[in-house]
Amino acid sequence: MPETTSFAAALPEIILAAGAMGLLMLGAFGFSDGEKSDRAGWTAILILFAAGVALLGQTGTERVFNDAFISDPFARFVKLLVLAGSATAILLSFDDLRRAKADRYELPVLILLATVGMLMMVSAGDLLALYLGLELQSLALYVLAAFRRDDVRSSEAGMKYFVLGALSSGMLLYGASLLYGFSGTTSFAGLAQAASAPGAATNLGLIAGLVFLLVGLAFKISAVPFHMWTPDVYEGAPTPVTAFFAAAPKLAAMALLARVLFDGFGGLFVQWQKIVIFIAIASMLLGAFAAIGQTNIKRLMAYSSIGHVGFALVGVAAGSAAGIEGLLIYLAIYLVMTLGAFACILAMRRENGPVEEIDELAGLAETNLPMAFILAMLLLSLAGVPPLAGFFAKFYVFAAAMKAELYGLAIIGMLTSVVSLFYYLRIVKVMFFDDAKPGFSATAPYVRFVMIAAGLFVLLYAVYPAPLVEAATAAAKSLSL
Amino acid sequence: MIYAAIVLLPLLGALIAGLFGRLLGPRPSELITTSLLVVAAVLSWIVFVRVGFDGETARVPLFRWITSGELDTAWALRIDTLTAVMLVVVTTVSALVHLYSIGYMHEDDSRPRFFAYLSLFTFAMLALVTSDNLLQMFFGWEGVGLASYLLIGFWYKKPEANAAAIKAFVVNRVGDFGFSLGIFGLFAMTNSINLDAVFAAAPSLVGKSMSFLGYEVDVLTLLALLLFMGAMGKSAQFLLHTWLPDAMEGPTPVSALIHAATMVTAGVFMVARLSPIFELAPTALEVVVLIGTITAFFAATVGLVQNDIKRVIAYSTCSQLGYMFVACGVGAYSAGIFHLFTHAFFKALLFLGAGSVIHGMHHEQDMRRMGGLAKKLPITWIMMLIGTLALTGVGIPHVGGFAGFHSKDAIIEAAYAGHTPGNFAFWVLVIAAFMTSFYSWRLIFLTFHGETRADHHTYDHAHESPWVMLIPLFVLATGAVFAGIAFHHYFIGEGYSEFWKAALFEAPGKDIRHHMHEVPGWVPLAPTVAMLTGLALAVVYYILAPWLPAATASAFRPVYLFLLNKWYFDELYNLIFVRPAFAIGRLLWKGVDGAVIDGTIDGTAKSVLWGTGRIIKLQTGYVYHYAFAMLIGVAAILTYFILAGGGGAQ
Amino acid sequence: MNDLLTDYLPLAVFIGVALAIGGALMIAPFLVAVRNPDPEKVSAYECGFNAFDDARMKFDVRFYLVSILFIIFDLEIAFLFPWAVAFGDIGLYGFWSMMLFLGVLTVGFIYEWRTGALEWD
Repeated sequence: MPETTSFAAALPEIILAAGAMGLLMLGAFGFSDGEKSDRAGWTAILILFAAGVALLGQTGTERVFNDAFISDPFARFVKLLVLAGSATAILLSFDDLRRAKADRYELPVLILLATVGMLMMVSAGDLLALYLGLELQSLALYVLAAFRRDDVRSSEAGMKYFVLGALSSGMLLYGASLLYGFSGTTSFAGLAQAASAPGAATNLGLIAGLVFLLVGLAFKISAVPFHMWTPDVYEGAPTPVTAFFAAAPKLAAMALLARVLFDGFGGLFVQWQKIVIFIAIASMLLGAFAAIGQTNIKRLMAYSSIGHVGFALVGVAAGSAAGIEGLLIYLAIYLVMTLGAFACILAMRRENGPVEEIDELAGLAETNLPMAFILAMLLLSLAGVPPLAGFFAKFYVFAAAMKAELYGLAIIGMLTSVVSLFYYLRIVKVMFFDDAKPGFSATAPYVRFVMIAAGLFVLLYAVYPAPLVEAATAAAKSLSL
Repeated sequence: MIYAAIVLLPLLGALIAGLFGRLLGPRPSELITTSLLVVAAVLSWIVFVRVGFDGETARVPLFRWITSGELDTAWALRIDTLTAVMLVVVTTVSALVHLYSIGYMHEDDSRPRFFAYLSLFTFAMLALVTSDNLLQMFFGWEGVGLASYLLIGFWYKKPEANAAAIKAFVVNRVGDFGFSLGIFGLFAMTNSINLDAVFAAAPSLVGKSMSFLGYEVDVLTLLALLLFMGAMGKSAQFLLHTWLPDAMEGPTPVSALIHAATMVTAGVFMVARLSPIFELAPTALEVVVLIGTITAFFAATVGLVQNDIKRVIAYSTCSQLGYMFVACGVGAYSAGIFHLFTHAFFKALLFLGAGSVIHGMHHEQDMRRMGGLAKKLPITWIMMLIGTLALTGVGIPHVGGFAGFHSKDAIIEAAYAGHTPGNFAFWVLVIAAFMTSFYSWRLIFLTFHGETRADHHTYDHAHESPWVMLIPLFVLATGAVFAGIAFHHYFIGEGYSEFWKAALFEAPGKDIRHHMHEVPGWVPLAPTVAMLTGLALAVVYYILAPWLPAATASAFRPVYLFLLNKWYFDELYNLIFVRPAFAIGRLLWKGVDGAVIDGTIDGTAKSVLWGTGRIIKLQTGYVYHYAFAMLIGVAAILTYFILAGGGGAQ
Repeated sequence: MNDLLTDYLPLAVFIGVALAIGGALMIAPFLVAVRNPDPEKVSAYECGFNAFDDARMKFDVRFYLVSILFIIFDLEIAFLFPWAVAFGDIGLYGFWSMMLFLGVLTVGFIYEWRTGALEWD
């Protein structure tokens, strides 16, 4: 029987799960009906905050529940980002959903449940825990995608995501069963032994299991060629939900991927490195080229996020502490940039509803210079222009790749980021040089807050990068390399 | 925390005025920034007393900044006497300039922006003088460059102001290039950029050589020269001086703050701060003396014939900076810093006085259209007189005098004691002192005495400035009168070692201060004689025989034009650098960019668009297509591993 | 190659047996079952579906909801059986684990109830 300390290690998750159910009950009994509709959201943010506090109270490395649950600096670094991303997504959702008459208390509850799943993923030390977290997250996300059930596009997005997600889950599960079959264990530590045993590299069963597992995870981070759902779902889902999709789940799945590969399959590094390099290059290329032809800014952000996943995977492919450090820094900066960009997208709204076409941004510099400036900074940061934060994100992963002598990968990465600059600049050009369209209606205060905070972060990150870098360095040490 | 407060209060002011200036309105912005600066100035004087007289030094770490490999930089404040002196100079002048600007800029619409820039500049300057490592110094260095760019171009609707701002920025970039190379070099040689570590490692570099541009050169000489290049840019020394006179396009308080008292002295400060490195590179020091001497002479000659009241003072500043470098070059850092200290008072006084004249004359800057203003602006006149007395170094040898008398004469003595070949530094500086006296009195006589040459209307409406502008003048005048006599003892006299402690470094055995006291008896008299000669000549030229200047100018027309056109430096640079750069630019634009790059890029862009079209076509919207793509992906990866023999291709 | 086939022989036998049994069960009714349709047997079910119809037809989404809700409790039973069998070995920890699980299910149930998912209209 586990001791109470086991539960202490999982305290943030417990707080979130209990909070989510409590909030569901409160909601069912009319806690946030009618005028008080944003109560549920604020309560959810409070619960996320409480989980964050519990998280900050933890120190050291703990492996509990028969090693199925790991709480270490790496997990805490990512968890903190995930919590922040979820809270911000809720903050962004208030105004948009109220106007769409979809301000139901289930949204914060679902986000909370998805967050529990994500934290589980990040802390997973066992294939079963991995699957548990992944499914809890995914199921909540399927519902979120279709959250505006009276909207055709939203329902379609939910449907597509569900069907393809089920397929990927199936593959992942199949991979897990193959791994269990060939190694006799589901824990990462046991798998690590099996993977570094002599002959593991020629054990096709183990390799096939690894491939299927990787494919399932690649779907979650929308890496090419398992990315096809992304543009449709991003476009169809309500914008605050898309912001959530683009931020927190990506981080959790990416962290999970890194944990599985490093802790579980360190012995098969040569094998999985090839797969990771392949999907990284494919993602960077597709992200850069496919975005060029887009006219809908949410679709564009979908391709942009695919490209960014490719860049982040470069850090994984490096297979070194520097690579993991780069990955973590990349994820943190990506989170801020993405949420900021989506805050700007949420601010694109006229009298008769939100607009999503890039052309609608025409002449924004004349009608709303501060917003145009912030959006331009965020986009240039996404493109990786120095001295904005995005540049440093790319710098760290590419530096790690160079150190690992993956010159080809680093060069392709740099070239694709130049290509991606093209479509980001196109938006900047539309905002600053095209004839002005009528201005947007007033932006909700929380959205504006997120926008400004993200803008300041990308602008000023270069002034004081030390805390993030140091935290990432400490976190990267907890994976076995 | 008093140290951090001094540095951060101006930043706070800048942020408040910059971000909320429009919200607050001009008056609160002015009051907030000014009062924060006054607080910082008071704190600085407290620190000055504590550090200079009570012997406190401190290293205040604020936070870790950048860590990458061997580079480990913290943001820390280095508080020693040198810092304390600079803190006092910077915050005092800045506070007074803030106060003065409330009056001077009162007609301007974007005052919050102006005060935000002023405070931002002050912050950057304080960051520079408190820096504990070279990166932080570089941050401040670039920060003051940026703020100066913003302030020179403050009236951005004036094309000359924009051109001057860009010129200042570009010329400084040349110097900064050398400075940054110097920092990189120091890091490469000592594996650190923290001042203490660098200083500790410097002696081990003596005699080492490295390869630079294909030549084997002495490491320390090279690095010191590269660093000095930065100082030359920032302090407007000969060859990189061209931006300073043009920078007078900015508002006059800016000239007083940036181009007289603080930013331009950053170069001198840097050389003094890095004295442990410079002292080990005698060749570099010779270059410093040479450049300083030439600047002192060159700028003084140009100052003789300028007609714009601010430009005269600007060239005077340039020339005085040359003095300071000579002092540093011969190893008398204390004399250089002493002159920096006193110069800040009387030069800021002169600039603000000139500002008061310009303000009273409704933005007239040409001295040919002034004259006889002593009756109209009596207080300003007296203040300018005090400034001039201080600048020209009026005093009685061995007894005492105005501020400049103590510091400038000390430099001239040091130049003599420094034994330059043929004593050229000494003689040139004496001649420059003569010219300084002449052009300074010329300025006073042309502006305030004789018959007025202003048009009737302007002259009648000329008025004394408001109190808010005059009070700073009084404070500065007090400094200009007493700063020399009061601090002589500590800066360069008997109290030297107690006052400076370890802040300045002198190579053992050089003992320049000792030699300064043993110069022949006529040496201390020489500058006073030169000053009196200059005064006498100015009286003859501009009071007794006002027709003489024109006659002299036509008699020596080539010389006059040569000087009037500032030795034709602008034209020369235009010919050597600017035009070829434009020509190359045009060539690249029309030829290379148009034909080659556009051709290639357009081609690439077309194929990119084609590829994009393909990819988008894959995105059909059908779920089964998507699922199919996923399966293909899995199949492809698996097939690869099966064919590669279980992934065994190690 | 032969080894491989030998390895898979049990599988082939298993498939053969499965086919045989399945086929037998499908063919047997035609041979032995009593066919005696009357109006009650062929009339529509209570839910409104015809007794003999195409399975791929449109139907009210509420049926789907009911079946989903049923599956949740179905799974609950699937968990409860092994739990009950092993109850003696798993002790208090096992007991509270299941109580927690049931509690979570109850939360979901209350939500269903409150939001009216159990009402047909």
